[in-house]
Amino acid sequence: MSLVKKHKLKIITLILYLITLIYNQDIFIKSIYTTGGYLKEMVQILPAVFIVSGLITVWVPKEIIIKNFGKDSGLKGKLISVFIGSISAGPIYAAFPVAFSLFNKGASISNIVIIISSWAVVKVPMMIVEAKFLGYSFMLARVILTIPAIMIIGYFTNKFVEKEDIKSKVNGNRYEKYILEIENILPKFNCGGCGYGNCNEYAKAIVMESESIDKCSVMEDKTKTKIKDIVCKVSEKK
Amino acid sequence: MGTIILIAIAVIALGWSFFKDKKKTKESISLASKLFKNTFTEVFFLMSLIALLLAWIPQSLIKSVLGNPNELLSIAFGASIGTITIIPAFVAFPLAGSLLKSGSNLVAIAAFLTTLTMVGFATMPIEIKYFGKKFTLIRNGISIIAAIFIALGIGVIL
Repeated sequence: MSLVKKHKLKIITLILYLITLIYNQDIFIKSIYTTGGYLKEMVQILPAVFIVSGLITVWVPKEIIIKNFGKDSGLKGKLISVFIGSISAGPIYAAFPVAFSLFNKGASISNIVIIISSWAVVKVPMMIVEAKFLGYSFMLARVILTIPAIMIIGYFTNKFVEKEDIKSKVNGNRYEKYILEIENILPKFNCGGCGYGNCNEYAKAIVMESESIDKCSVMEDKTKTKIKDIVCKVSEKK
Repeated sequence: MGTIILIAIAVIALGWSFFKDKKKTKESISLASKLFKNTFTEVFFLMSLIALLLAWIPQSLIKSVLGNPNELLSIAFGASIGTITIIPAFVAFPLAGSLLKSGSNLVAIAAFLTTLTMVGFATMPIEIKYFGKKFTLIRNGISIIAAIFIALGIGVIL
């Protein structure tokens, strides 16, 4: 059952394609052709995006991110965020891993929203195409209105969403607090390198089953010490 | 162009990292490859689903809906179509251009183009996977509202 749930999207897609193939071959071929175009874009962009995200996670110290993108980074932080978003390539889904790795290093919610939004909308090569088909005044008006709008979207998202909303996945458990604490300082990439499905499961295993804390290959030594402290607190309670 | 810059940045950063510290580089690459495996198939199936949807909806339908004589209705339609679908820029801009020539509402086109890129119903499952439901719903919700204001603003300026 859980297998079906896990592959729900794939199953639905394949069934719909099958129905289309039987019902209308022209549309089927057209869809395959468009998918090919998407695939080409994904293959060009995603590896680079993931490499950059991985490098940020491993190399960039938290302090630098907090200083430039944290909640006290002010207008400068917002402008850097717009800049990063607008020079990056690829559709919006490529922005998520990069924004996520910045968030885990201490970037504010408002700034990651700005990065995601400007990644999607404010694009120099796209502006040229837009001007060609819709005229310069249309393009300029849209850009001039969009940049402040993106900052406002960031401001409001920041108002309504807490950091914990992103970091925590609720589970009723009296050790929940500790699981959450550990999960919050894990790299949160849900890479599965520790053998568990995601960081939450690994954190749970550390607290509930006294799993070794050496399984995470992405963790810094500093983090390890912190986790050790939490594990000590847990064993006092047990 | 943007793609080349991105790939160049990735390659240069990777080279620098390798030169500085081989172990850390290995860590980054294994992290990147796990991320890739985790996201790639999901994104792929989502995109193929969108491709299917786009193939079923004829462009003439989009044209007639965006050209609706009722201005408010055409803005609402423009924003909804843009929200639900992901159309690559190289298709969207020529389409928007031809819509404008055939007399569609300028504000509706602006709403369509802005929601098209900034709001993604189709990419929501991926966004949720990274940032959770609350963040995703609120960000997309506020973006739709902002897109409508941007569109109306363009109507005022032009």
